[in-house]
Amino acid sequence: MKTLLALSLAVACGAACAQTPATNPMPDGSRDMYVGLGVVVAPDYPGAREKRVNALPLLQLEWSNGMFLSGMSAGMHLSRRPDLEFGPLLALDPGRDQDGSGNKVGGATPVQSFLAGREARVGQGLEGLRDVHARLQLGAFANLYLTPSLRLSNSFLYGAGHERNGVVWNLGLQHISDGLSPRHRFAVSAGINLVNRNYNASYFGVTAEESVLSGYSAYAPNGGLRDIYVGAGWNWALSPSWMIASTARVTRLRGDARHSPLVERPANFSISSGLVFRF
Amino acid sequence: MGMFRHLSASFALLITASTAVAATHEGEWVSYRDAYRAMVMFEKYGKAKHLLQNQFQVMSKDGNVAPDGVQLHVQGKSTSLNWPLDPTGRTAFALLKAPYDDNAAIVLNRKGGKYVFRPRISIVLRPDGVYDAAELREACEQALAYQRLADAPLRSKRCVAVRFVFPKGMPDPGVRLRKGEAPSLGVADGPAFEGDSYHAFRVVSYRFGAGGDKAPVVTQNAPLAIVPVFE
Repeated sequence: MKTLLALSLAVACGAACAQTPATNPMPDGSRDMYVGLGVVVAPDYPGAREKRVNALPLLQLEWSNGMFLSGMSAGMHLSRRPDLEFGPLLALDPGRDQDGSGNKVGGATPVQSFLAGREARVGQGLEGLRDVHARLQLGAFANLYLTPSLRLSNSFLYGAGHERNGVVWNLGLQHISDGLSPRHRFAVSAGINLVNRNYNASYFGVTAEESVLSGYSAYAPNGGLRDIYVGAGWNWALSPSWMIASTARVTRLRGDARHSPLVERPANFSISSGLVFRF
Repeated sequence: MGMFRHLSASFALLITASTAVAATHEGEWVSYRDAYRAMVMFEKYGKAKHLLQNQFQVMSKDGNVAPDGVQLHVQGKSTSLNWPLDPTGRTAFALLKAPYDDNAAIVLNRKGGKYVFRPRISIVLRPDGVYDAAELREACEQALAYQRLADAPLRSKRCVAVRFVFPKGMPDPGVRLRKGEAPSLGVADGPAFEGDSYHAFRVVSYRFGAGGDKAPVVTQNAPLAIVPVFE
């Protein structure tokens, strides 16, 4: 059970994996909160050649009743088994405008920065394409611990995209290690994202009208595998109240998303680091 | 320019925080909240566990360092507790709301070195030193069932023995089966728990099946711990 100590690493997990253990892990009426600020370097949008540096607010809250808020996701734990986590999940898909954004950074449970300054764009980019508006997604998560330090993660979200009918299904494997020191926790992860046609059409498709306005060829992608990724996270606890949470992730677009005319570079790299206060 | 601004601000923030916390705790420490999360699982476990106890262990990663003399201090805004450790590095962990809400630190009274903090399951000692063999097996099974919950590889293992742990240097701890003048069970140097770095305890293993598990196991001296063994 020693690796349950590693669950504080949750602050350095992705949306659906940043959750408390199944049974109430804290005294009744207590909560565990993390707030922080850092920077993220990530592509303008999935498949973009250009990268941007943004401020990265970090936020994670857990309550003794099982509810949690992690970055742009919220949910509730319903399982009573320590090796199994499941429950409903709400997430905000940040969408994408002609300046980009909408990238998900694996790791530090980012609150996507809507306020961050925009860098000057170079290249064709997304001009002429419809904005994909931010959407509230509904879904569920179910994670299974194969060992105390190895977890299969699984989340399903519905509601992204132009017509609010995009589906994203994430399957991942995460290994958490605190072998070097109680102050340093490391995580490595790998996984895939599967999406439906509606999701791909919103983010990687080009309609005839958009083709005229943007100059891209019209493109109507199907659903399927959107991407595969590998990532790493590192939490360095400076004290019980302060930690530095850092993440890195390499994502490679696959399937019809990969062949979209919007995709300038199928492999994207993102990295983030932030200072987090726990209270 | 924007990128430079963001990076500068972040590094300034990191340096400020690092300076602020540098002198907070001089010894090795662990977050009370993280430890609480690890320890509370046993408390909430709903199946049979009456023959078991769950304690918090601190163990040096350097095998030459005995746990003797190590103490833990729980430091928080409204919390100040001292937790002495037994010779195996264990202490009873108090599941308290105040230090949790304080986000207290559990600080070791040793500077330097690397330590590992973890929960340890062991079998409850009997004051009369007489252990029914079937009950030892039952205790081992309880421990295995609990630890299997979060550790799938243990599902392929089974209880094979219990290990009686005695202080370093004890020539004959005097663990024997109550069968007239039965000789003491064999003793060797070893660790208290699997994965411990300190191997100088005197340990006596009682393997299930020896003597048909009918004769009680009698300890002449109180052991420091009785530890279930899975293979």
